[in-house]
Amino acid sequence: MNNLFLRVSIWVYLGIFFAYLLGPLVIMAITAFNSNGFPSVSPWECFTYAWFSELFQDERILNGIKNSIIVGIGTVIMSVTMGLAGALILTQVWPKLRATYYTIVIAPILVPGVVLGISTVVFWQRVNNWLGLGPDSILADGLFLTIIGQSTFIASYCMLVLVARLQRYDLTLNEAALDLGATHTQAFRKILLPFMMPALATSAVLAFLASFENYNTTTFTFGDYPTLTIELAQKVRYGISPAISALAFIIIVLTVFGALTNEALKRRKELQAAASGDTVKKVDGGFRLPAILSRNPAMIALIALVAVIGLSTVNAMSHNPAQCIADVKEERDMQRTLEAEANLRALAERRAAAAAARAAEAAANGEATEETAPATGGSSQTGGTGAFGNVFAPTNLDGAEEEPEAPEEAPASPFGSVFDPGNLSTAEPSGGN
Amino acid sequence: MKNGFLKNFYQHNGKVMGTALLVIISFWIGVLIILPQLSMLDYSLREYLPSGEVGDYTLKNYRHLIYGAEGASDPYNYVDLKVFMRTIIAAICVTIFNLILCYPIAFFLGQVAKGMKLRVFALLLIIPYWINEILRAFALKIIFGATGMINAVLIGMGILDEPFDFIRADIALYAGLGYAYILLMVFPMYNVIESLDGNQIEAARDLGAPWWRIHARIVIPYAKPGISSGATMVFMLSAGALAAPQILGGPSSLWFTQIIYQWFNDGGNWSQGAAYAIVLLTSCIIIVLAFMKLFKVNMGDIGK
Amino acid sequence: MSAGVGVNLENLWIRFGDFVAVRDANVNINGGDFFSFLGPSGCGKTTILRSVSGFLDPSEGRVLIGGNDMAGIGPNKRPTALIFQNLALFPLMKVWENITFSMEIKGASAKERRKRADELLDMIALPGQGDKLPSELSGGQKQRVAIARALCAEPDVLLLDEPLSALDLKLRQHMRTELREIQKRVGITFIYITHDQGEALTMSDNIAVMKAGIIDQIGDGKTVYNDPSTAFVASFVGENNVFRGKVKEIRGDEALIATNRSGDLVSRISTANQGKMNVGDEAMMFIRPEALSIAETGTSGDHFVTAKVNHEEFEGNSFNIFTEGDGGKEIKVSIPNLGQTFEDHTGQQITLEYETQNAVAVPAGELATE
Repeated sequence: MNNLFLRVSIWVYLGIFFAYLLGPLVIMAITAFNSNGFPSVSPWECFTYAWFSELFQDERILNGIKNSIIVGIGTVIMSVTMGLAGALILTQVWPKLRATYYTIVIAPILVPGVVLGISTVVFWQRVNNWLGLGPDSILADGLFLTIIGQSTFIASYCMLVLVARLQRYDLTLNEAALDLGATHTQAFRKILLPFMMPALATSAVLAFLASFENYNTTTFTFGDYPTLTIELAQKVRYGISPAISALAFIIIVLTVFGALTNEALKRRKELQAAASGDTVKKVDGGFRLPAILSRNPAMIALIALVAVIGLSTVNAMSHNPAQCIADVKEERDMQRTLEAEANLRALAERRAAAAAARAAEAAANGEATEETAPATGGSSQTGGTGAFGNVFAPTNLDGAEEEPEAPEEAPASPFGSVFDPGNLSTAEPSGGN
Repeated sequence: MKNGFLKNFYQHNGKVMGTALLVIISFWIGVLIILPQLSMLDYSLREYLPSGEVGDYTLKNYRHLIYGAEGASDPYNYVDLKVFMRTIIAAICVTIFNLILCYPIAFFLGQVAKGMKLRVFALLLIIPYWINEILRAFALKIIFGATGMINAVLIGMGILDEPFDFIRADIALYAGLGYAYILLMVFPMYNVIESLDGNQIEAARDLGAPWWRIHARIVIPYAKPGISSGATMVFMLSAGALAAPQILGGPSSLWFTQIIYQWFNDGGNWSQGAAYAIVLLTSCIIIVLAFMKLFKVNMGDIGK
Repeated sequence: MSAGVGVNLENLWIRFGDFVAVRDANVNINGGDFFSFLGPSGCGKTTILRSVSGFLDPSEGRVLIGGNDMAGIGPNKRPTALIFQNLALFPLMKVWENITFSMEIKGASAKERRKRADELLDMIALPGQGDKLPSELSGGQKQRVAIARALCAEPDVLLLDEPLSALDLKLRQHMRTELREIQKRVGITFIYITHDQGEALTMSDNIAVMKAGIIDQIGDGKTVYNDPSTAFVASFVGENNVFRGKVKEIRGDEALIATNRSGDLVSRISTANQGKMNVGDEAMMFIRPEALSIAETGTSGDHFVTAKVNHEEFEGNSFNIFTEGDGGKEIKVSIPNLGQTFEDHTGQQITLEYETQNAVAVPAGELATE
């Protein structure tokens, strides 16, 4: 019982955790397709691609992407190089110095990005002045400063990735190469570098992503070259638009796609490795994969994520956004007309009421009030339906219809799934996998 | 002795490679890491001259944080000090929140989940981290907005009558900060917990220990390096965050980095900005070192 | 290269900080020899090898290869090739690329390299395996690839650092013969490092026995086995029974030793110590288990030992008797199994006999620990 309770709470916890982690992203992605000018899901107006075309017409965004890529490439080259050097030295540094050395090269990860940005700008401006160069020299250039500033800490990330691989490197391989006549440089190029390749690729991808999304450092260094992140931040700070959701959608799709491809490649490599040892495995390895997928709840979640994205695309094909937007516009216009009418009517009634009141006052007779009061009530009701009817009416109706059924299920469902052993045992196989 | 090291180093790496390594590492450590920090420190100790010239040494910039501008009506710089304290305390709270949120998942991934499931969960964890920090903050702004998902749900459920301003209440900000650094909390813990021999847990369970005792006596002490590593990173990054406060912060509440940003970019007073940055950096380091001392963790464990 | 290239170590000292790894080594290795350094782990033999291959600079003294001082010459410039203990095959290169790595360095074309690889693969009896990765080979195959890779560099001296230690017993014995054959075929100098005296004895022309940085004895296998110059060599190379005592009398090249428990025993003085042992010196006397035999009870003299049998065991090719020994250690007697019947002596006092020339006396010294 206790164990089962724990099990369930673990899955509830996992649900909450991943809802927190992924929910905002999913919602953001969906808002990219809502024609509503404020990125939102709940008042769903129309399915549209308009935000994507708006995005691709945004010069600043496109320019930001270009700058981000340039900065990214520069940062990757610098930080992977420095990270590799840092890792190689870490494995050889004098034991007494090692802790100090490690602290120094790891520190940039912990130093707040703003501090790195400021110190980079301040330092290079000084170097620039000291060298007697003008404000348009390379040392004061936004691209240069951003690459330098980002590399300072991204190199530390790279180093951590590379050290992990380097620790598995057999140093005698280097000696063997030297012994066979290679120079140190040749041994490095022909033996160590190929060995480090997977980790170098990983660290390059990490470095690029870290550079691409960096804000804190770049915001001080970018100068005349705002990166995509800077542009995004400007936009998000001063008003939000679903065009940003559209960009987010693209990035999410690319990321998910990249991650899945990477995973598939890794998996294939492992299968190949297994197959080279045992040819039989190769045959059923390919077939086993779907079974694992179908039994795995997390994989299902991932597939569902992809499916939602896919479905929305398919949906768009069979949908005419322009028509819908026109409808919504019409509806809104209608609403506005109705409101106007209602206002007019209310105004007229108020006047009538006032007139009546005046008349009544003038007559100093109670009969007049009796006559006007129902009229006022009736008119306000019609006005209510006109203004809010299309918002509240459907939900009201649904709610009213479902209400009688609800009490039968309500007590059972929230607790049943937790305490009912039958439910648990069905939940278990999916959890136990 | 130093000579011996260099000689050894060159023998190990050869002249070309050895020199290349030394040049690169000196560039990184010297020119990128140490000199800029010293330069910033120097800047913070100098009088700011709008002309861009180098001013004389002064403690004025630091005094400003504590006492405010000369001739100000308050005896102390209440505004900035309040923001500073709020930043530090909020960063600690975010760290604790993240720790509580992430420990179970780290344990689940490290000890319970196996094979394919582990990979998929890891993937689900990593994917959000690859999305731009700004976009993640933006996503939270959408769902915490006045017409956002959360308000819609709460109103729909009848808990709220009218939209609650999560942004003004800074709830969006704290959720966003926690959200931004989940991965940095999970992975160090996961790495350590993953290396814990599952038999230890089995043995403890066998001896009749309840689950919470197993965690308190076996897993958590073992995972301490990972926990402190994750906590350090989350704390430092939250305290130094700029994007999330700018996007998710309420209009009236500032994060300390925003003040630095204002001095630097809007006010154009680099010396003042540098001084504030130094204060932020040193206080963060002091707090981290104090916590590490308190929990007896080594620097070498960080980043593993 | 009729006689091959010799290697000389002259007054070689190697220190790591305060630790002396090699103390004043003087070794002359003849060209074309199969020369072994034999010693327990940590005795400095690998250090010597690394100084010959160029990974370590001597603190003092010289390493000469073919008469040339190797000071300041890096490992990639020396006419040596090293086979590492873990073989150090390049894991990402195919077998043929591994073998011809030294040619790749020199800029040879892929075609030339393939051709040479095929020749060498034939030589090591792995034809057609060139396109495999090292991870796809068995232990013995990897071993041979490592040898081929080293030979491909056409070294004057091949250095082998316990290359057989990772193999199982059967394969190890097979590879011994194979290595020896390869050495004879290529005719170059082999310097072999091992802690296994069996390997050293079966393969080597000459052996240097080392202990804690010091070379105790250099000689061919028979000399080292039969005529050890120190107690350490006597106890390290092969099984040996030790008798401790004092020199009582010197009779030419023989000595009478008053042992602590077994009475006065006569022994040959090892060649290196003749004329150096004096009456009253602490001495040790060694008799191999196979040199002892059971004598009739009651006989006594200076080549008889009486002892109580602790236990016995049957080992297949021999019958072993363990008796109370001299100074705590048991005496082992090994009687070859020729089909005779063995009585059970457990608990009895028996008399053991040996021939004087089969006992060897050396000055007392440190014994090898097993």
